[in-house]
Amino acid sequence: MTCRELDERLDAWVDGELAAAAAAEAEAHLATCSLCRERERRLRQVLAHAAALPRSVTPPRDLWPGIAQRVGRERSWSRAAGGWSPWALAAAATVVVGLVAVLGSGRAPSAVRTVEIPAASPEARLAALSVVVSDPVLAAAEREYEEAANALLEALQKRQSELQPETLVTVRANLEVIDRALAEVRQAIARNPSNLELNRMLVATHRKKVDVLRRVVKLSTAL
Amino acid sequence: MGGLAEAVLGGTLIPMRETEDRRAAERRLVQDAQNGDLLAFERLYRENERKVFALCLRLSADAALAEELTQEVFVRAWRKLGGFRGESAFSSWLYPLTVNVALSERRSRRRRDARIVATDDPASLEPAPATPRPEAGFDLQKAMAALPPGARAVFVLHDVEGRTHDEIAAMLDLAPGTSKAQLFRARRLLREALGS
Repeated sequence: MTCRELDERLDAWVDGELAAAAAAEAEAHLATCSLCRERERRLRQVLAHAAALPRSVTPPRDLWPGIAQRVGRERSWSRAAGGWSPWALAAAATVVVGLVAVLGSGRAPSAVRTVEIPAASPEARLAALSVVVSDPVLAAAEREYEEAANALLEALQKRQSELQPETLVTVRANLEVIDRALAEVRQAIARNPSNLELNRMLVATHRKKVDVLRRVVKLSTAL
Repeated sequence: MGGLAEAVLGGTLIPMRETEDRRAAERRLVQDAQNGDLLAFERLYRENERKVFALCLRLSADAALAEELTQEVFVRAWRKLGGFRGESAFSSWLYPLTVNVALSERRSRRRRDARIVATDDPASLEPAPATPRPEAGFDLQKAMAALPPGARAVFVLHDVEGRTHDEIAAMLDLAPGTSKAQLFRARRLLREALGS
């Protein structure tokens, strides 16, 4: 083995990754070459320095206030937008973005425009936020939304041949995201039944699911 | 450890012996944070800030930038928290996010200004190493700051953080062979720095 060959294999040698025969050759070369022994020594020193570095370093100042300020601002914004938590907003955004991406790739612009339907009015949103939902009312609201969602799903199934397969895959995937969000909100309500914010979130998530389904059904009708 | 224990036990610091207990406590904090509980999210931050800051510091080689990056990591974590299913530790979920934030910021800054230089000395923030320095006079942190960014990132992730080339390749969107080549480059430059 030459010095150059050893240099190329030095990483594998110190990492113990050389095969037995190559390792024996490297060892034999190192026994007779002081230059390569020095290279090996330096590399092992560098690795020892790296291993000695602590994995945790305390920031020189408290960074939390800046984080809390930004997060708090976003939370206020999302509440003003309809009581959605960041992750619920993200789920809804995924649905819309996914639909537009799929449609945009294979459909004329006019088809994309048909996806848009008017959102709930600001007054309706505010009204929804101001409602104090007790358990029986919440249960009734859930039933109504579920019935609406089921009716729309049935309509979508009848028309699924009119939609592109990619669109259906995207819709299904994102409905699963919303359903998971619903399940999580329900779990949170079970732990804390009196939390009005959670009740509003549950209703808002149901509303979003119905909205998404309405958009897709309307799209299949328009195509 | 203290943060989680305090979160669950109302401020009374009682050691939790079982990893499962810690995971369960963390899951509760995550769920509360997912439901908008900022105090729970702060607990998660306190539990992870030092590791995130250390990684940002090493990847950016700039102390002031590392502070900004750490804040950005947790703001993005808050936004993405709904996607965390609790199948791994919160710190494991946070790790690739931290790498992504640190490196994407580096790339965007490089685009904005090709003449970036570190304005703070990252070595000044390093606590004394737990073991004696193998070679007196050699400052690895400073030598790492002088590495090309790509080589530095792979060296940090492989030789400081102990990640495999496959993991690094996945996080940095590289081929594993490229990761190995970058490590070779970084190690060679560092051993030259050691000898200078």
